[in-house]
Amino acid sequence: MTPLQFETAHAALWQELEAELGAVPKRKRGSQPVDRARVAALYRAACEHLAVAESRAYPVWLIERLETLTARGHQRIYRETDFGLDKLARLFVVDFPAAVRAHRVYVLIALLAFAGPLAVIGVLSYLDPGFILSLHDAGMVAEYERMYGDADGPIGRRSAGSDWSMFGFYIFNNLRIAFQCFAGGLFFGIGSLYYLAANGAVAGSLAGYLTWRGFGETFYSFVVTHGAFELTGVVLAGAAGLALGHALLAPGRRSRLAALEDAARRAIVIVYGMIAMFVVAAAFEAFWSSARWVAPQVKFGVGGACWFVVFVYFVFQGRSRRDPASSR
Amino acid sequence: MSARSDLASRLDTRYAAETPEGIALWLRPAGVAPRLYAYLVDLLIRFFVFVFVVLFLGRLGGFGGGLALVVLFLLEWLYPVVFELGPGAATPGKRMVGLTVVMDSGLPITPAASLTRNLLRAADFLPSFYAFGALSMLWRHDFKRLGDLAAGTLVVYAAQAELPRSAPPPAPARAPAVPLPARSQAAIVAWAGRVARLTEARADELAEIAVPVVAPRAQHGDRVAALVGVAHWLLGRR
Repeated sequence: MTPLQFETAHAALWQELEAELGAVPKRKRGSQPVDRARVAALYRAACEHLAVAESRAYPVWLIERLETLTARGHQRIYRETDFGLDKLARLFVVDFPAAVRAHRVYVLIALLAFAGPLAVIGVLSYLDPGFILSLHDAGMVAEYERMYGDADGPIGRRSAGSDWSMFGFYIFNNLRIAFQCFAGGLFFGIGSLYYLAANGAVAGSLAGYLTWRGFGETFYSFVVTHGAFELTGVVLAGAAGLALGHALLAPGRRSRLAALEDAARRAIVIVYGMIAMFVVAAAFEAFWSSARWVAPQVKFGVGGACWFVVFVYFVFQGRSRRDPASSR
Repeated sequence: MSARSDLASRLDTRYAAETPEGIALWLRPAGVAPRLYAYLVDLLIRFFVFVFVVLFLGRLGGFGGGLALVVLFLLEWLYPVVFELGPGAATPGKRMVGLTVVMDSGLPITPAASLTRNLLRAADFLPSFYAFGALSMLWRHDFKRLGDLAAGTLVVYAAQAELPRSAPPPAPARAPAVPLPARSQAAIVAWAGRVARLTEARADELAEIAVPVVAPRAQHGDRVAALVGVAHWLLGRR
């Protein structure tokens, strides 16, 4: 068969496919619906023609036309169209807590990397009040005293920002820290460990120092509620990063890149949920935690309930009753 | 592909993604420079959007300030994700430069992959100004930055390289003097398709390579027409 015969024999089919591919995105209500099975059949036929044309070394423009046609068809046919609410609901009902449980070793290591420095620096700052000066300068320390002390105005604010502006600030700032904890995992997990430890150390120094100063009730009542989401969120972000780092360090029988891609696909589910947790945390931190008119005892009560809910959510939510493997 | 030799594939950055249908999708990954241009365009767009938002929301006091920071967060992290999941699979900057983001299997990008590659910007950015990302792109044949490695994505040129599809200029068909293997046939037909864009001297110079074998009886001043005639014969006009 000569190239010309080949082209005349199949040109009608290619033109039909070209027309179908051009039509789909501009489709409006009431116009002819696209016959998906027909498009798929045309696409497969065009793929076959391309393979034949290549093996017979047909002219370049013919192959070029078929390559363009099949590439467009491929993009159209394999496009994911289901971004529905079902998927979002399933994420929070099943996928997110299940992914956290599947990564429980990483979560534990991330927790140690965060809480270890927090506890050590916290105790050091409590025992030796001068110690905090090796982490922050004196001006900052005075600022912290004013923020978490007995002064008037909302707790935890440098200037008299409104609740809404602080909400924006917490989203902007805290999620950036969480993303750093996640992305740092690409450096064999060292980055995640570093960001976790550094943030733990800062939190510990504040807690220890303010406890020594006698502002413990104000500070802890401020932290307790949003901490349930924010501190867990940071640990989860670090755990997702550690999963990437572990895949790079010990890829098993796959190549490092293949292991990394696979680990990222699993870990990103944690990141989805983690983002939502930070939004909740920012709302609590801006509108509830900072309020002086709420008695500390009430905050401790609500905060305790939040910690309990978060704990129960990650331990029990989304387990399948019938599947013994996931309920181990 | 028989026509594309090993030697060429070492220089060529084209990337073959094989599909379940048994054909190869040829992707052309984009290097550091076009992606830098696209990034700068996006940066400019984000900057102006943010300035506009601040000017507008500044009048709303604390509420507006908070909203502006949320917008800044969205612009910094989710702006690329939203556009990459849209119809063009590219941010406005990438679209302007003619780039698009796909999975390295040639498939359209998935939400998970888009979020992965854009959050891992934080790693690419280190130690400063995307140094690790640029190093990774320069190191690799397919120009993936660290985020692309983890997400399994590629930034490619959106448009296929358009070859002029012009058929050879008219000439009387002429059978070749010897039977030709497929690769030689393809070379002669491809040359004939380009004749219209070549200078006469260059077309003649190229024809000189093939004519003594293919059409040994062609006259000296007639070589181009003779070889075009052979091309017509090969295409099927007999």
